[in-house]
Amino acid sequence: MEFDWSQEDIQHRRDVQAFLKEELPDNWEEMSQHGPGGDSQAQFSRHFCSRMAERGWLTQHWPSEYGGRDCEPWRHSIVGEEMWSVGEPRGSQYMNVNWIGPAIMNYGSEQQKALHLPKISTGQVLWCQGFSEPEAGSDLVALRTRAEKIDNQYVINGSKIWTSYCNHADFIFLLVRTDPSSSRHRGISVLLVPMDTEGIEVREIPSVVGERYFHEVFFTDVTVPTDVLLGEANNGWNVVNYALQFERIGAARYARAAVTLDKLAELARERGMLEDPIVVDRLGEARALCEAARVLVYKVIDIRAKGLPPTADTQLARVLSTTCDNAIGRLALEIFGQESREYASFADTNFRMAMTAGIAVGATEVQLNLIASRFLELPKE
Amino acid sequence: MNFELNEDQQAITESVDRLLAQHAGATRTIELNGHGMYDDALHQLLDESGFSTIARDLASEDGPAGLEAALIVEAVARAGGVVACAAQMLVAPAVQEAAITGPITLCTLDDLKKPVPLRFGAHAKTLLVLGIRDVHVIPLTPEDLKPVRSSFGYPMGRLAKADRFADLNAAGNCLGPNAALAMANWWRLSLAVEAVGTMDAALTHTVGYLKQRRQFGRSIGSFQAIQHRLSLCAIGVEASRWLVREAAYHGAPTEAVAAAAAFTLETADQVFTETHQMSGAIGFTCEFDLHVWSMRLLALRQELGGVGGARRALVEARWGNQP
Ligand SMILES: Cc1cc2nc3c(=O)[nH]c(=O)nc-3n(C[C@H](O)[C@H](O)[C@H](O)COP(=O)(O)OP(=O)(O)OC[C@H]3O[C@@H](n4cnc5c(N)ncnc54)[C@H](O)[C@@H]3O)c2cc1C
Repeated sequence: MEFDWSQEDIQHRRDVQAFLKEELPDNWEEMSQHGPGGDSQAQFSRHFCSRMAERGWLTQHWPSEYGGRDCEPWRHSIVGEEMWSVGEPRGSQYMNVNWIGPAIMNYGSEQQKALHLPKISTGQVLWCQGFSEPEAGSDLVALRTRAEKIDNQYVINGSKIWTSYCNHADFIFLLVRTDPSSSRHRGISVLLVPMDTEGIEVREIPSVVGERYFHEVFFTDVTVPTDVLLGEANNGWNVVNYALQFERIGAARYARAAVTLDKLAELARERGMLEDPIVVDRLGEARALCEAARVLVYKVIDIRAKGLPPTADTQLARVLSTTCDNAIGRLALEIFGQESREYASFADTNFRMAMTAGIAVGATEVQLNLIASRFLELPKE
Repeated sequence: MNFELNEDQQAITESVDRLLAQHAGATRTIELNGHGMYDDALHQLLDESGFSTIARDLASEDGPAGLEAALIVEAVARAGGVVACAAQMLVAPAVQEAAITGPITLCTLDDLKKPVPLRFGAHAKTLLVLGIRDVHVIPLTPEDLKPVRSSFGYPMGRLAKADRFADLNAAGNCLGPNAALAMANWWRLSLAVEAVGTMDAALTHTVGYLKQRRQFGRSIGSFQAIQHRLSLCAIGVEASRWLVREAAYHGAPTEAVAAAAAFTLETADQVFTETHQMSGAIGFTCEFDLHVWSMRLLALRQELGGVGGARRALVEARWGNQP
């Protein structure tokens, strides 16, 4: 056992921090207030990610044959922490480099790799994730959007919901049912569909979380060549599981929460609130939670770095990250009290960003069920 | 002891519910909130129907009829009404006998200093300031107020010109120490009353949704992991409801109010968290009614020191243990 960062890693973190200081515009705070899906942040991500790519940092954890540097997952996690800490200037492209690219490497045809990987590794492309449907949320395998194979084409009909980032996306990583007679996880396939294909329509769903958060994507006789199929037909469930095996912790939410908490503590000090033992107690509680989430996330990265198969540790880390995020969002409200009533104030923004944590990327209860069955090996209900 | 509504109370709640069914409700709240508007029409209807003055009209020698007024405020909160009825019906009659022009907005000296966004602060005609020993009743003009956009479910506004409120005695009427104690207690209790109606609606909405929402081939409400937590919320709401009613019945004595508010405002947090968590992604959308109530719960927790303030007041009232 060893809990040190290498000298190179420490230096890398410093370099990334210095890079961020240089690259983020003066109005970054304002620009990033709607999160990675916001208009300005999405636009900026194209510029920012190409700058990262120039440094060789965007996909440094990828194999060199695909434009990476064969770095350990640890190195990539440093980038993730630093990016989330400042509000994720990579926008939605964190998904590209974390799991969409790797899924294409693993399952893609040569043609797909040649089309997509260079775009991703140079920071030129935005993706979104088309999984959830109105009737398929936690129970994702109830999905019904279908793609019918007619000659050399798929004709897609159905709809996706909650799709983050799709209003700016160039491609959608789309889960569809390709075998109409199938049910549950059999008969599902992944299609890599250009968002500008005719018949795709995006509608924003207004929310209390912020602008451009949720969307519905409608597919009406959307016709695409069969070569958009990723992997084998009807094997999509395995593709997704492979792709997302570590992605529950792909967004370094605990890192963002920790930075928010540092700012909160600073503001509390400025206001003389550190005299209040209750405020001190709550800050201490929250900081401990951040650390607990971090260490569980690190355990998962360790498993990944060793090339071991994923375990329920991912769920443990995910749930604690979520708890941490929520707790700090709420603590901000408590500390700022009525001042947080103002839209886009520090507390309001952080609270809104945190409030969906327990639902996005799979609801907490589902993670807890997995912990019960896989980690505790409890019998099913 | 008798936990049932008497005939008069029943008649009052039935008639206010009838009025609200017609003139309030989540759809209307969403519409008004979208434009940062106040529900003048509902305010006027409550005035005209005599609900706004019920605490005074039914007053006895023990004081204003707080319980009857509380039942109305609870109902209005349940309906998501965009009216400042808690201040009007519960706080105003306790601080002075003469009627106070509404909408009324409430603040402390600290709130005034910052100044923080106040509920109904963009539409209020009167400001009640809770001083250390006094209450200041200050008439407001539209120039005094600036609307503030907020996530928290009420139209908010801030006092525009700080210098106008520098000398409170010059700005309005000053009422003495009895008024200050009454205002503190009734304000704190009114937050709890509003929270009860609001939690009740949020929980009812969520339970309804979870009965109908199906995943994994069954209704989500059939999972025990969900049922137990909903049951805990229900326990919290019920206890809050009766604590609040009991305190209102007794005329808002400090200790009972503090206990009711401490318990209720903590439950409000639990109800916020659980109703959102259990509703899934749809719970965050504007088209799903939950936010009408859930976001308000967080705003209610912020006034008068929130849960911490209520707990400290409780300890002080019970054991005199406050530094
Ligand atoms: C901010 C945000 C961004 C998102 N982005 C995307 C995206 O880009 N692409 C995409 O495809 N999807 C996205 N989603 C959707 C997300 O994956 C789903 O919201 C999530 O899987 C939960 O589904 P649901 O919202 O339908 O909730 P439901 O499945 O309806 O669940 C409601 C509640 O019931 C609980 N529940 C469900 N099953 C059980 C059970 N067996 N036992 C106990 N409790 C249970 C849930 O935990 C939850 O609390 C996003 C969601 C959010 C909030």
